[in-house]
Amino acid sequence: MVQNQVCGVRRDEEPVMLRLEGVGRHFGALWAVREVTFTVGPGELVGIIGPNGAGKSTLFNLIAGAVTPSAGEIQFLDQKITKAKPYQVARLGVARTFQIPKPFRQLTVRENVMLSALRRHRTPRRAHAVTAQTMEFVGIQNLADTTAANLSVGLLKKLEVARALATEPSLLLLDEVMAGLTPTEIREMMAAIASLPGRGITVLWVEHVMMAIMNVAERLVVMHQGGIIAQGSPTEISSDPAVIGAYLGKNYVHASRP
Amino acid sequence: MATSLTEGPAPGKFLTLAFAPRRGVLSIVELVVLAVCVIAVVAITNRYAVDIMIRTFLWAGLALSWNIAGGYTGLISFGHAAFFGIGAYTSTILLLRYNISPWIGMWAGALLAGCVGAVLTIICARLRGPFFILSTLAVGEVTRLAALNWRSLTGGSEGLEIAPVPSAIDMVFKSQWPNLLLVLAYMLVLFALSIWIEQTRYGYYLFATRDDEDGASAIGINPRRMRALAMAMSAALTAIGGTLFAQYFLYLDPTHIISPDISFQFALMCVLGGLGTASGPVFGALIIVPLSELLRGSLSGSASGLHLVIYGTIVIIVMLYFPSGISGAIARGSAWLWSRTRSAASAGMKNP
Repeated sequence: MVQNQVCGVRRDEEPVMLRLEGVGRHFGALWAVREVTFTVGPGELVGIIGPNGAGKSTLFNLIAGAVTPSAGEIQFLDQKITKAKPYQVARLGVARTFQIPKPFRQLTVRENVMLSALRRHRTPRRAHAVTAQTMEFVGIQNLADTTAANLSVGLLKKLEVARALATEPSLLLLDEVMAGLTPTEIREMMAAIASLPGRGITVLWVEHVMMAIMNVAERLVVMHQGGIIAQGSPTEISSDPAVIGAYLGKNYVHASRP
Repeated sequence: MATSLTEGPAPGKFLTLAFAPRRGVLSIVELVVLAVCVIAVVAITNRYAVDIMIRTFLWAGLALSWNIAGGYTGLISFGHAAFFGIGAYTSTILLLRYNISPWIGMWAGALLAGCVGAVLTIICARLRGPFFILSTLAVGEVTRLAALNWRSLTGGSEGLEIAPVPSAIDMVFKSQWPNLLLVLAYMLVLFALSIWIEQTRYGYYLFATRDDEDGASAIGINPRRMRALAMAMSAALTAIGGTLFAQYFLYLDPTHIISPDISFQFALMCVLGGLGTASGPVFGALIIVPLSELLRGSLSGSASGLHLVIYGTIVIIVMLYFPSGISGAIARGSAWLWSRTRSAASAGMKNP
């Protein structure tokens, strides 16, 4: 049944990995996210930017199932995930990182990453291999036996990414993974994120480090006061007057020039 | 056989052996302690000493059961006496009323306690930390009051008495020996089970649920299911200990069996020995039970109640200076010694 829909009905349309249709969520009288509609295609690397309180993290929580939408619908591949629970969304192949890292504190870095790998691989040997690869990809292999509680903020961010990647997701939601990293680490992380679509991972990425997201993302979605105010390529966005007014500021145009 | 201390434990390593207690592997320290327990069972025949040993092993098993919920899954419970009572009362009532052997009754008690435990976590699914603890305390008290007032079933405050007529089918024995072997087996099986849990993927799912439920959900673990599973398992195993207790002491009354004191003891032994480790609850019981018996015996004439003061002082000292318990202290001590000997060896290599 489900396969028929994929093969038969939507053949003529662009393939869609994630589709948000008029998604909104209010807390009391405040609409943290309202009327958000956009799609992400397979292999895309989409960035979400916007001022603090624009609703970016709430949007991630809505997609990941941590918060249930008050309005609208969310579809991942051929399944509606509007009311799915976080662990159900994760099992479909959506991995996420948390803006404020949520590691398994009493476990080591290796065990943290291994847990994700164990979700998919029943044999410990295979899980070990995935764990080792993922730790090396993110650059935390030297810390494999450090307890997560002893890591600094920057390393916790890397651990978040490693834990999400080890679930071998098809869609990865990155929430401000650059905060707390050194300039060198930011460049390394940029290269790592840029390589993800090539590995078959679609990325939706919230970031405040403009240098990173402007250079890596193929498409940007700009949020302000809960809604989308602009969408387009980084070049289009950086010259969009609405975006400059709401978020980037007039100085950005000058500052971003070499 | 011993693996290097820097290598992290990982699920699926069943045959590794470490020196100091470490998650997921059997350690030489633990094996020695358990071997001493077994030797003591064979060697010691003094009636009073055997009585203390029976209590110690029973409490070690009960603390290990508590540890599955409180240590591994972070479901700190101050209401486990309820499960203990359910186990003790179920098998005893089945024996006295329906003449069903406790060998069968204990499984009935375990099943009932397991269901109550699972329902408790489902009802309290949204409660965290101190709020969850308070709700478990309430469950314990409600169970105690129910047992006190449901006179027709439990005999109320007068309690229930099992006739001291030796019969293997009724699990009542003439000598202490069979009881001693039973509780020893109970402790050893639970220890093995704990080590096994630490190695399996489900053990790791429990740790993840304990450390961060949102993080666990994000990688596809259903935290509510894990909480319910862990609590059900812990409650069922505690109930089996309750049956063993009833069949040794042959007398039950709600005030003593389902008291908060009993629940606190479970938690204390785990904290003292090392929360969330397989050896911790055993170490805790091995120290607390004989100590409290000895203190009670020696101080009851001159200063009754003083044993509680000494007991409390020891707990405070351990919590201040050994926050990861005895088990953690041994692990750290041996890691320190290991690094000392290694640096000494490398220094020796440089300057022969």
